[in-house]
Amino acid sequence: MPDKKKLPRLQDALMLTDKGYKDLKKAIAACTFTNFSMMLPTIVMLEVIMELIKPFTGDEISWNRLWILFAFGIAAAFIVFLCSKNDYKKTYIVSYMESENARTSMAEHIRKLPMSVFNSKDISELTTNLMGDVATTEHVLSHIYPQLFSNAITITVICIMIGFFDWRMGIAIFISVPIAFLIILGSRGVQRKLGKRHADAKLAASEQVQEYIEGLKVIKACNMDGERFGTLEKALRTMRNLAIKFEFGTGIFITGAQVVLQAGVGLTVFVGITLLTGRQIELIPLLMCLLIVTRIYGPIQTELTLLPELLYHQIAIKRMRALMNISPMEGAETPLKEFDIDFKNVNFSYNAGGGETIKDVSVSIQSGGITALVGPSGSGKSTLSRLIARFWDVDGGSITIGGVNVKTLDPEHLMAYMSIVFQDVVLFNDTIYNNIRIGNMNATREQVIAAAKAARCDEFADKLPDGYDTLLGENGSTLSGGERQRLSIARALLKDAPIVLLDEATASLDPESESYIQQAISKLIENKTVIVIAHRLRTIVDADKIIVMNEGEVVEQGTHQELLGKEGLYNKLYSIQQESLGWSI
Amino acid sequence: MYARQSGQMGAIMKQKNNSKTGMARLLELAATKKPLMLGSVVLSSLASIASFIPYIAIYLMVREILSVWPRVDSLDAAASLRYGGMAFGGVVLNILFYFGALSCSHLAAFGTLYELKVNFATHLAKVPLGFHILVGSGKLRKIMDENIEKIEEFIAHQLPDIVAAFVAPVVMVVILLAVDWRFGLAAMAGVILSFVLQASMYGNEGAKKMMSQYQKSLENMNNASVEYIRGIAVVKAFKQTVYSFRRLHDTIKEYTSMVIPYTLSWENSFSGFTTLINNIYLFILPVGILIGMNTSDYTGFAATMIFYLIFVPAIAGILMKVMYVNSNSIRILNGVEAMDALLAEPVMSQPAIARGVDSYDVEFQNVSFSYDKSKETKALNGVSFIARQGEVTAIVGASGGGKSTVAHLIPRFFDVTDGALLLGGVDVREMNTSYLMEQVSFVFQDVFLFKQSIRDNIRLGNPTASDEQIVEAARAAQCHEFILKLPKGYDTVIGTKGVNLSGGEKQRVAIARAIVKDAPVIVLDEATAFADPENEHLIQKAFEKLMNNKTVVIIAHRLSTIRSANKIVVMDSGKVLEEGTHEELLALRGKYSLMWQTYNETASWTMKGKGGTVNA
Repeated sequence: MPDKKKLPRLQDALMLTDKGYKDLKKAIAACTFTNFSMMLPTIVMLEVIMELIKPFTGDEISWNRLWILFAFGIAAAFIVFLCSKNDYKKTYIVSYMESENARTSMAEHIRKLPMSVFNSKDISELTTNLMGDVATTEHVLSHIYPQLFSNAITITVICIMIGFFDWRMGIAIFISVPIAFLIILGSRGVQRKLGKRHADAKLAASEQVQEYIEGLKVIKACNMDGERFGTLEKALRTMRNLAIKFEFGTGIFITGAQVVLQAGVGLTVFVGITLLTGRQIELIPLLMCLLIVTRIYGPIQTELTLLPELLYHQIAIKRMRALMNISPMEGAETPLKEFDIDFKNVNFSYNAGGGETIKDVSVSIQSGGITALVGPSGSGKSTLSRLIARFWDVDGGSITIGGVNVKTLDPEHLMAYMSIVFQDVVLFNDTIYNNIRIGNMNATREQVIAAAKAARCDEFADKLPDGYDTLLGENGSTLSGGERQRLSIARALLKDAPIVLLDEATASLDPESESYIQQAISKLIENKTVIVIAHRLRTIVDADKIIVMNEGEVVEQGTHQELLGKEGLYNKLYSIQQESLGWSI
Repeated sequence: MYARQSGQMGAIMKQKNNSKTGMARLLELAATKKPLMLGSVVLSSLASIASFIPYIAIYLMVREILSVWPRVDSLDAAASLRYGGMAFGGVVLNILFYFGALSCSHLAAFGTLYELKVNFATHLAKVPLGFHILVGSGKLRKIMDENIEKIEEFIAHQLPDIVAAFVAPVVMVVILLAVDWRFGLAAMAGVILSFVLQASMYGNEGAKKMMSQYQKSLENMNNASVEYIRGIAVVKAFKQTVYSFRRLHDTIKEYTSMVIPYTLSWENSFSGFTTLINNIYLFILPVGILIGMNTSDYTGFAATMIFYLIFVPAIAGILMKVMYVNSNSIRILNGVEAMDALLAEPVMSQPAIARGVDSYDVEFQNVSFSYDKSKETKALNGVSFIARQGEVTAIVGASGGGKSTVAHLIPRFFDVTDGALLLGGVDVREMNTSYLMEQVSFVFQDVFLFKQSIRDNIRLGNPTASDEQIVEAARAAQCHEFILKLPKGYDTVIGTKGVNLSGGEKQRVAIARAIVKDAPVIVLDEATAFADPENEHLIQKAFEKLMNNKTVVIIAHRLSTIRSANKIVVMDSGKVLEEGTHEELLALRGKYSLMWQTYNETASWTMKGKGGTVNA
């Protein structure tokens, strides 16, 4: 986070904005008011009781005074109503506003993160951050924290008031509170341990469920329903048993703490009666204490049961903090004029300490031509192409475009110079038109349609009910693989960037689709600096340069003819492919 | 396992005949653990009754004190302390009963969850396999992992609370009316009013509409964030993060603008409810004044009135509980509905008398099929052809033409809508599923390997295979070499750290599996689709071993690979257009010859570089 200003501890712990922190304080104040307003009915009630017992002490009861108290009671109820309205509004608004802020700033942060984050982090984890963790915050801010603090304040104030009034009664009422909290805190270790075992069992069961469901085709095909089912059943059983253990393990402590807490009722009565018979306390104060003791443990008990939820929230906060602490990639917006790409002694590995994916690679790619990266799978050709686009920063050496080190460039700025067509096409739940327009938001409708036509998208778009304005559904689920490819090429065409990174599709398509895609690619690469990751060597025999990679190193480079002549890896790969092309059943 | 559970499972499965919905269905699920639930309900009721004891004890004590007032020296301290003990005992009983109730309900809940999941998994294995393809594994997992899980909340927490919430007011009413019916009625008026207020909160139409709008905006925001994160790589590539960010941002804003008024719409009724339940004594007071002004027995009157004043705060706690019970049920019900919808999916029929076969021609007899029976469009429309034993039959055609559907029908992933599919002259519906599965091997483009050793993954094809046979199959499938390079060879567990097989390698393991299985019929659906070029050749070699003297049905895009098939079936729009050998079809000058021409053009296409040289 950019500003290093020292934040108040609570604000920092809850990851609140300044406004949110201020609002939380207001919400706590509002809740405290409500709590105190709730004492008004009790006071009126005590007054009523005092009036009622007057005849017992020889005084005269005043019915008029009771009517007046009734009127006071109505007024007090009205105050309670206003206070609880006030705190209701304050607590909910603060929590919803804060969760909006949290979601927005997290989404904002996510879009600036380096690509490596999206590669190493599970996508569902990021979504959990954005939705689940924030929802937890929303919940604790609306339902827990204001009440927790205001209850603490109210209880403390009452405790002090009673203490001043009669310290012995004060101790009798509140002695059990710290003991109960100590029990909960002391049992945290056990709770955490059980919690972890439970969570692990849950995860294991969830994995089994996934295997079972995804592998069902195989399971059925191999007639092994019983055995596989047995593994799943066992995982589910373990989960059930650990869930029970967890609930009991934590439940026992909470119940124990509650019993200890409520022991205060007995203690208060005992001390009260002893003091009363010793004439050390009056009846009315004793009654007041008795009424308080029946009502005050409720809120404290609530706090006890909410503690685990706070622990859970802490985990959510920790996750969000970890995400927010990943620093975004930065750089200058230096304009690029030349597009020769040079790798100098580039080293790169995906995880620090892991094996190197790219080892000391030095090659140059000339602007304006087609350069093909070839090699067996896992040789590092995809990685190499993505390094140009600064998906990651290299560990050693440098990559320059037109003499400018990509490390010094703002990633989004760098992207302006590149069109990327990868195999995994991501589409948005929007119209075909808008999905193409992502390539260039300033394009006119004519330009968008022209790009679509050039990429042969009209062939399938025309068949759809609303043409280019047809909605695609989640991740474009209605389109076939070949159609998705063409749509992504249309995007790239519309972008019209000087450098084209192309990852040739490996999945085989029916000849017609294949032919459309080839036509689209031919359009895309006209007059561009093209880097193509080629799987079918047949398609790149006319490339200006072919770079052959193996195990992270460049082993050969040259044109098709030159490389064939070398009788090295390229020659071998090419002849194997020729052989498989000619193969027939 | 099956046998032991079948009894309890009965109730869970029963819903197919009497399809209950809503709360009734939830109660039905809970009822599978009757003794535990009964225990929980009884204990929970006892707990709420015990919660009244402290108030009564304090009242009794006050009465004791008043009876001697103001001469407190003569107070029977022992009796007073007994009341203290009674108050304490009351709360402890309340807590212990409630703990007992929750213990029972949790035991019941976890047991029910377990059974529901087991039952759901069993059911999944019985419905036609194609069903999984249609529904998607994500949704099925969500039901197992999330929807069923939510039932826990209902059974473990809500059910005891609901019952207590009903029992407690009844006991309360009895106490209230028994002591003095006039005070009782006054207090009841307050209780009834707060119930009415609550009912108006949940019942009114405006609230329901807002609720659904709120749910909708929450859902929109959820979907937008999933899409935002999944698409981030693309939008970054196109420098459009602001655009997709704005889409997400709009839904976040919309959610806030929806949720705040929604929440605030409850402001008055919620605050009113809170106020009411904390001020029920105000109903007692005027009644008390009116009674007291005209009473002849003042001591009795004062004691009763004080009892009511002390007792009514107890009502607040109980009514608060009722309040929370209401709000969660809807979410749980939605989850249960999703589960029931899938449980209602008919299981694949098994023949009364299973038939076997001794020859292995696969014959499509005028087969029609549609994935969605409500729609007119048919995936297959009157398809007839024979794939002969010992021959290779290839199916070609454009995407969406019905090729994959044909492949999916042979192992009976779906049942045909019309016509019949015969294996060795016998309708596949007249065979046991397990028998049919033994006769058919299939290799699809999406290969699934289990998180166990490679050896075990291959052995799935034939559990009785010896280690030697497995190695032999692996050799034949061209995967022996790469397996030996793995950290633990054949014992390497798939999915462990550092073990990542490429698409082509996975495919060869799947082929080894099929070789070990050695079934007479083989279905290959675009099985080379994701192969890397350098191992595509190896896969092809593997196929040769596999197909030896079998009935082979193969679906392929690369026409060169199937040009020497014994028979090529050309499909388009769910129909068979042409049928014959490569040469016969070329001579026809129809669809196939067009495809062949396009295919050859694509096969010679190259990316033209600056030089523009053409290498052949």
